[in-house]
Amino acid sequence: MATLPSGLSDSVSDQEDLARFLTQSSQFTATLVKPAAFLPSPKDRETSVSRHGSEPREELWTIGLPAAGARTLHAAAIFKAQVVRAAQLEVAADEPPPRHAVIRGWPWDDDDPKLQKAKQVELAAVIASQADLLRR
Amino acid sequence: MPEPVSKVRLCLLGYVALSTYATGSSAISVEASDVRRAASALIESVERSQALFGEKASAISQLRALAIECNQENWDAYGATLIDPRAISNAEAIVRALPIGVPLPEFAPEPDGSVSLDWIQSRTRLFSLSVGRSQRLAYAWLDGTDRGHAVATFDGSTIPPRVIDGILAIVKNGHAPIGTF
Repeated sequence: MATLPSGLSDSVSDQEDLARFLTQSSQFTATLVKPAAFLPSPKDRETSVSRHGSEPREELWTIGLPAAGARTLHAAAIFKAQVVRAAQLEVAADEPPPRHAVIRGWPWDDDDPKLQKAKQVELAAVIASQADLLRR
Repeated sequence: MPEPVSKVRLCLLGYVALSTYATGSSAISVEASDVRRAASALIESVERSQALFGEKASAISQLRALAIECNQENWDAYGATLIDPRAISNAEAIVRALPIGVPLPEFAPEPDGSVSLDWIQSRTRLFSLSVGRSQRLAYAWLDGTDRGHAVATFDGSTIPPRVIDGILAIVKNGHAPIGTF
C-alpha cells in the first residue's frame, strides 16, 4: 500500500469516515441527510467526498470551508466507507486535493436515463439511511 | 356613476352571506334546514380547499426559493448543474396534483438539475421522487429492509396511482405494495 501526499493510505478502509459537505439547507432535515445529497455529478459520474480519520470532527470544517468557497457550508454528512460498499458502489482515493475520494460505480444507462436515475436514488437513499448529520 | 363591483367582492359577499346563513339557527321548515345543511357543507368544503391551497402555496414558494438558491452552476461546490426551470414547473404541477390525504413533501436539489420530492418518516423509511425536465418520474423507496425503485409517467395533472400508493405506504403504517421494475 502506498501513502498519498496527505499522509493517508491510497486504499480507503471500510472503517474510514467519509464526509460529504452540504452547501444547501434543503439537503438535510433537522436530523437526517436527504438522499439527493449523495447523488453523483452528471459530469464525472462520481460523488466527491473527503476522507476523515480519527481527527476531531470539528477539523472537518478546515477541509470543508475552502471547498465550499463563497457558498455557505451548512453541514456535513458522515458515513463509513463500508456503507458505500454494502450498496455495491466503490470508494477510491482521488487526490489531489488532499483527502479527496470518490464514490463511483453508480448505475449508468444512457438508453434509459430515468431508470438509471431511479436506481441511483435507491442507492443514495441507502447511504443516506446510514449517514450522520453534522451541523456547523 | 356607480362603482363597478369586482368578482372578488361579490364572492366575498356571497361567502359572508352563506356563512351567516349556515351558522344561523332561525330556520324552522324542513326545506330551510336542508338549505342550511347544504350551505354548511359548502362552507366546509371551501374552507378545507383554502387550508389545502395555503399549504400547497407554501410548498410551491419553497420550491421557487430552492430554484433561486441553486440557479448557478456548481451550487453544491461539487460541480452540480443549476436547477432546470422545467423541473421546478413539473414539481409544482405534482404538488398541485397531490390528492387530499397525501402529505406534502420536502424538497432537495439534485446535482443534475432535477428536484427531489421526499417523504421522510425516518432514516430507513422514506419515499424519494426525482422530478426533472421530462414528465417521466424516477422514484425509489426504503421501507425498513425492503427497498426498490421504479419509473412512472406524470401527465401533468394526475399523479400515477402507484406513486401515490408508494407514498402512502411510507407515510402510513401499512405496507402497500409498490410496483417494481
